[in-house]
Amino acid sequence: MTTLATSPAARLPRGPRRRRARILRNAFLLLLTGLFLAPVGWALLSAFKTPVDIIRDPLVFDPTGFTLENFLRVLRDVPIASGFLTTAIVLVLKGGMTLFFAPLAGFAFAKYEFRGKSVIFGAVLVTLMLPTIVLIIPLLLEMKELGWVDTYQALVLPGSVDAFAIFWMRQVISAVPDELLDAARVDGCSEFGIFWRVVLPVIRPGVAGLGVLTIMNIYNDFVWPVVIANSDRMATLQVVLSTLAQNITGNRIGADYATVTGELLAASSLALVPLLVLFIALQKQFIAGILAGSVKG
Amino acid sequence: MTMSTTLRARALPRARKGIFLTRTLAPYLFVLPFVAVFVAFSVYPLLFTLRLSFTNWRGIGPAEWVGLGNYSYLLTNAGFWQGLANSGALWLLIVPAQMVLAVIVAVLLNDMKLRLRGFYRVAFIVPFVTPLVAIAQIWIVLFDQNYGAINSVLGLIGIPPIGWLTTSAWAKPTLALLFLWKTTGFIVIILLSGLQAIDDTLYEAADLDGASRSRQLWSITVPLLRRTLLFSVVLQTLAVFQMFAEPFVVTQGGPYGSTTTAGLYLYDNITRADLGTGAANSFLLVILVLALSLGFVRLLRPKD
Repeated sequence: MTTLATSPAARLPRGPRRRRARILRNAFLLLLTGLFLAPVGWALLSAFKTPVDIIRDPLVFDPTGFTLENFLRVLRDVPIASGFLTTAIVLVLKGGMTLFFAPLAGFAFAKYEFRGKSVIFGAVLVTLMLPTIVLIIPLLLEMKELGWVDTYQALVLPGSVDAFAIFWMRQVISAVPDELLDAARVDGCSEFGIFWRVVLPVIRPGVAGLGVLTIMNIYNDFVWPVVIANSDRMATLQVVLSTLAQNITGNRIGADYATVTGELLAASSLALVPLLVLFIALQKQFIAGILAGSVKG
Repeated sequence: MTMSTTLRARALPRARKGIFLTRTLAPYLFVLPFVAVFVAFSVYPLLFTLRLSFTNWRGIGPAEWVGLGNYSYLLTNAGFWQGLANSGALWLLIVPAQMVLAVIVAVLLNDMKLRLRGFYRVAFIVPFVTPLVAIAQIWIVLFDQNYGAINSVLGLIGIPPIGWLTTSAWAKPTLALLFLWKTTGFIVIILLSGLQAIDDTLYEAADLDGASRSRQLWSITVPLLRRTLLFSVVLQTLAVFQMFAEPFVVTQGGPYGSTTTAGLYLYDNITRADLGTGAANSFLLVILVLALSLGFVRLLRPKD
């Protein structure tokens, strides 16, 4: 691209030069996207190969030799189904709390004047800047004191009213015209009724963006769950996955490399697919969510 | 319009009287869930960490006050500095390359007439959306020295197998590649939003003046994208210095500690039940992260 001006192509007439630049540009982008998609595509396809084939010919894909062996073995040997269940429960509880309480608090910050508002909003901003890893030790000790280790409360409650979500929803709700709220008041709407029946319907696109971002964050969350939910019963999907990786790097005695590799690819594929499907279905909301989410930090 | 305003003017005093109490109280009730969670799971733990960082508590038994002992221990400890140095090295491997790549891709994708534009955009984000643990595991398999696909590809062109994850020389670049692969699409999206704010007439004027595309990139795009770029650098710097899950899953900090990042070193204090030191380490990391952010924020502030 940048060398075009001095390359021999520069001497070509304008039309062909443009076409050549366009072809080069598309070739570059196709190559790059190929590299970006390759690891995921390779894993999804390899998961259907027999363990022996995976390690013998990592680059050969023969559809006639495809098998569900790895998936069946993973479902039998690893508590991946229970990992999915735990993650689903946490998603519903924690996601539900974030999607309800964050717009509610955002509403208060955007549309009300009350004493202590700036102090409380300052707290939101401080929470936004705190690295997760700092709170890990004291939170773990707090959970031990409360007897909450390996419980849903511990997985759900810390971070359930996400500061970033409040910050974002405050911005979204600020754009809702005051006249709309006043009109509802005149009609005898209660303050909560205004939030529920006027504000929420108006900001639905913003909430949708928050929804996908929240799902992605909770589904992929790893650091806190691995510290607090280590038992087989409470391990989230990501924690179950990470124990598989430790098997492959030598902690599980007696399992051969090929078998574990097959299990690992099958398990990773199972974990990848739900989020990929969701992403492809809701691209627009995802990208809006990611963009808004980048303000964090 | 006039109808409704007069109606409202008449109705307002009466309505306000009836709901006066709730309107004053409502915002407090609305922010209460956040405040409760904040006090219970942020303020309390933070104060607890601060106190803990001045003791030698190991999780059981009585805690002994050691003053600044944990801090001076860490600041004179080679492992602590090695963690920071490893994070710094990863930063050097990741951030400059990522910014160059992301700018090129974003500029190419900003062309509305580009065919397959939607496909490219989605393809670059796919890695960002996939669960880190899943992809970290795929990395382990792909980069395996004996059976990995990467060494198979390299073998096709006659390059002997490389110990990507088993030699300290290659472990960091392999980890950096994982991070680069996973987050570049995210930076591209941020840069694209920055590019869309640039006025198209600037390029039209440059076209008329006969400026080449590369000249336009350097003289118009990059300067106007400066703030977005710096913002991206800040985000990635914070992310790299807090990097934890990638080395935790892929290398467990090895080989020979070459991928023990600052975050992983902190975690080791927990696994050794050295909680006082861990708490002090947390605060040192917070100070570093905040200092880095503030430094970058100063840079981001417009000069004029």
